[in-house]
This record gives sequence, C-alpha cells and structure tokens, in this order.
Amino acid sequence: MTGFVTRARVVRGVRAAALAAVLAVTALVVPQGAVQPTEMSLVKIRHAQGVSVGDDVVWILAVGSDARPGEDMTRSRGDALQMVGINTRTGSATAIGVPRDSWVSIPGHGREKINSALYFSGPRGMAGAMRNLVGIEPDYVMVTRFPFFEDMVDDIGGITVTNPRRFYDPYLKKEGFRKGRIHLGGYDAMAFSRIRKGLVGGDFDRSANQQRTLRGIHARIRAQADRPGFIERGVMTVMEHMATNADPGELYELAQAVAQVDPRRITTCVVRGRVGFVGAASVVFPDVAQARRLGRDARSDAALRRC
Amino acid sequence: MPRPSPGRTPWARLAALVLVLVLPLSATACSSGSDPEAAPERLSRGDDRATLASHPVQTRTTIHRVFGRLPDARRKVVRRQVGEVVDRWWDAAYLGGTYPRSSFPSAFPGFTKGAEARARSDKALLTNQTGGRRIDSVEARHRSVSLDILATGKQARSVTAHVVLRFDTAGDKTGTTVVRGRLFLVRKRGAWRIFGYDVSKGARR
Repeated sequence: MTGFVTRARVVRGVRAAALAAVLAVTALVVPQGAVQPTEMSLVKIRHAQGVSVGDDVVWILAVGSDARPGEDMTRSRGDALQMVGINTRTGSATAIGVPRDSWVSIPGHGREKINSALYFSGPRGMAGAMRNLVGIEPDYVMVTRFPFFEDMVDDIGGITVTNPRRFYDPYLKKEGFRKGRIHLGGYDAMAFSRIRKGLVGGDFDRSANQQRTLRGIHARIRAQADRPGFIERGVMTVMEHMATNADPGELYELAQAVAQVDPRRITTCVVRGRVGFVGAASVVFPDVAQARRLGRDARSDAALRRC
Repeated sequence: MPRPSPGRTPWARLAALVLVLVLPLSATACSSGSDPEAAPERLSRGDDRATLASHPVQTRTTIHRVFGRLPDARRKVVRRQVGEVVDRWWDAAYLGGTYPRSSFPSAFPGFTKGAEARARSDKALLTNQTGGRRIDSVEARHRSVSLDILATGKQARSVTAHVVLRFDTAGDKTGTTVVRGRLFLVRKRGAWRIFGYDVSKGARR
C-alpha cells in the first residue's frame, strides 16, 4: 500500500513537473509581445544615403578611343562620345550621345568630324568640341580604349542590357546579338557598343547602344557598391587604364556618386542629324538646335524631359 | 509512519525548482502587461547603465584593407584620424549632449558643407532628433569602425568607413538602436571629411 501511495505521488510529481516544464517553455517561447507590447519588437529600419561632390550636378565626358596598341589613346580618334551628367542631390543621371562623325566646330581647327577633336587637341579639345555642340563644359574628361573597357566589364562580372532588335556584324560578332535582355561579357559589351553597320540607324543607333551599355555598367556598380573594397578596386583599375583629369580622391567621389544614382532616374538621348558628305567623306550634320536644347534641358539637373 | 514530504522526493524537488523558475517569469509578464512603466526589466537595465557609465564603450577602429601602398605609420594616423571623425559625429548626433531634447543644431561635425546640407534633410535617421524629447539618457553599447583605404603615392586618398553603433535609450523611448552603414571620406583642407553616407537605423523596443 505504501509502495502504491509513493508511486502515485511520484506520478503526480512527474505530471506537475511536466506541466511546469510546459509552462516554462511556453513562457520562454511565446513572444513576449503578447503580454509586453513594447518589448522585443523590431520597430523600424530606415535608410538614407547622400553624396556631395561640390556642385549638385557633375558633367563627365566619356570617350572611347580607337587607339591601337602602342598608340596614345588621348591622341587618337574618339569613337564613342557620351556626355554624362550626375545629379548628386536628386540621384538622377543623363547621357547625351553624339555620333562620332558629327561635323562640328573644333576649337582652333575649324570644322571637322568630332571624333578627330581628340586627335587634334587631346581631351581638352574634345571637351571644347562638345561644348560647342551641346553647350555644356564637362567637369571631367575620361578616355579609355577597347581592351581596358573589356577588362573593366569582365571585372564587374559582365553586364545586362536590353537590346531592342537583333543585329550582327560579320567581323565583330558573326552570330549577332538577339533581341531582349542579354548578358554581355567584356568582349561582347565592346562589340555591342561598336557595331554600326548592322544597325538600321547606323551611328545614331550605335550611340544609343553605348547608352544601354552605360546603364548596364551602372547597374552592376550599384549592385556591388556596398561590397567592401569594390569601389576602391574600381578606382585603382581606372587610374591604371584610363586617362583622366580627375585625381584619385575625385575619382573615388565620382564612383560613390555613380553608385547612388537611381536607375529609374536615368534619361538618355542621342543628338539627331542628317547623313551627308563633305567632299568624299561621309559625315553627320548634327541637329545643333536639338543638341543645344538637350544641353539647356539637362545642364542644371541632369534630367532630360524629351529627346 | 511518517508521510514522506513531497519536497524530499527527487521529482517533487524538480517540480518545485521549475515552479520557482516559472513563477517569476509569469509575474514579470503580468506586471509588464498591466503597467509597462513598472517592468522589472527596466530596473535591471538601469542597473546595467549605472555599471557601464563608469566604463564607457570605446570605439574600436580597424583597417580592413588598404588598396595601394601606405606605410604603417601613416595607416595608424589615418585610423586614428578617421576614427575621431566618426566619433565626433556619433557624439554630436546620438550619444552626447543632454536629454531630453529635440534640437540637434550641430550634429554633423566633420561633414563637408554639401554633405552636411544633405544630412540635415535626413536628420530623422542621422541623429536622435525624432525621439529626443522622449529620451532621458543614452548609453553606447557597441562602437566599431572598419576602414577600406585607397592610397596612391604612399598617401591615403579616400576612406570608406563601415560603421556600427549600438546604443540603449532610457525614458519614454526605451530600447536599443542600431546605426549601421558606410561613410565616405576624402581629405579636404587638411582634414578627413565625410562627403557621403549610406546609413540605416533600426530600433528595437
């Protein structure tokens, strides 16, 4: 009998212990917010970013030089010409593309194709030719050549662009680029930006493709900017392979400004024109009125309302 | 025959022990639910604060990586100088001064003029302004800064400072706040200055 009573008490003790354990676990597991609404809840996470690099809007003339190995890339022809504006206050950015065969006034050299401004007068001369056409004096000129451009795109893991039509080039890209969202490695990004003959709009469509490439590069930079050392490595690479009038600190500032551009606030236009001849040379007579209007439109805020 | 005392059996002792553990939890939950101001946690937090107040948390500044060549002596100088710039912002914006208050007029020492103008429009995040009226005191719990340095010509040209600040607030706005992100610095007029930021702030109550 005593043994039975003892066993019964043990069983009751076990039940009590089990119940207490359940209560204890419940007390620990059930969120305290149920009884303490002000405790242990993540209230709010907010985020802010901003960069100031002097004036609100910074203008950069990006030039792709066609210099061959051994040639000085700042004294060759400028094949790709994009005037890029960045508004560090609003996060907007714009690119005004100029066809390389545009027949323009080059300071000190009369009228020539704009791509020869780099050959005649270097980056400063190219900046002057762009100022004459668009009406904006760039703060910085950055000149690069194709091999570096390819390496840079490879370094950032390639880019993705939206290609509006299929096109190809028998020398640069036999199999061509399909229509739609496509991923490009370094070589393909170069070919995508250089091919002209396979495009209905020729030089104008090529300039627009260069802007698609710039958007792709920006997207990659923005996506990786918070990786420790990503921007610093990029600046080191640019210093090694680019000719620019920006010092390392300024390059770093510009890179951070680029990283903070909002992709939804990027606008681009290509200066229109009429294809014609000067002597035997095929040239583009640019729509100067439109070019000036684009310059006026974007000068103060790096945003284009219409092309 | 004397009855065995329930407290003398192992199971009963276990049950009693668990109950002893459970009851204070239940009591705490009930008292907090009915009167949050009297929650025992608050009192214990106050004790922690009193203890830490005599040993304030120091900022730990480290160099994550140097891109380019920079002599050790100069690395140390950059580490110290940038650490001080970050500390000055944290002290002006979150940790220093008297509470409660709603005004943070000089919250951005070490920022460039342009960056300060940007930061003023982000004061809700880059200072304690929004909750300052409901805060009685602030106590830092964690302060760390990790630097990526860009150097050319054996000179530091730019710094990305990855920062983490965690602090507790007491008063009507009691809880833990974490400020985390990146600050971008270059040398201007002989000193390191913050020209940009990418910062998030979260609060746990």
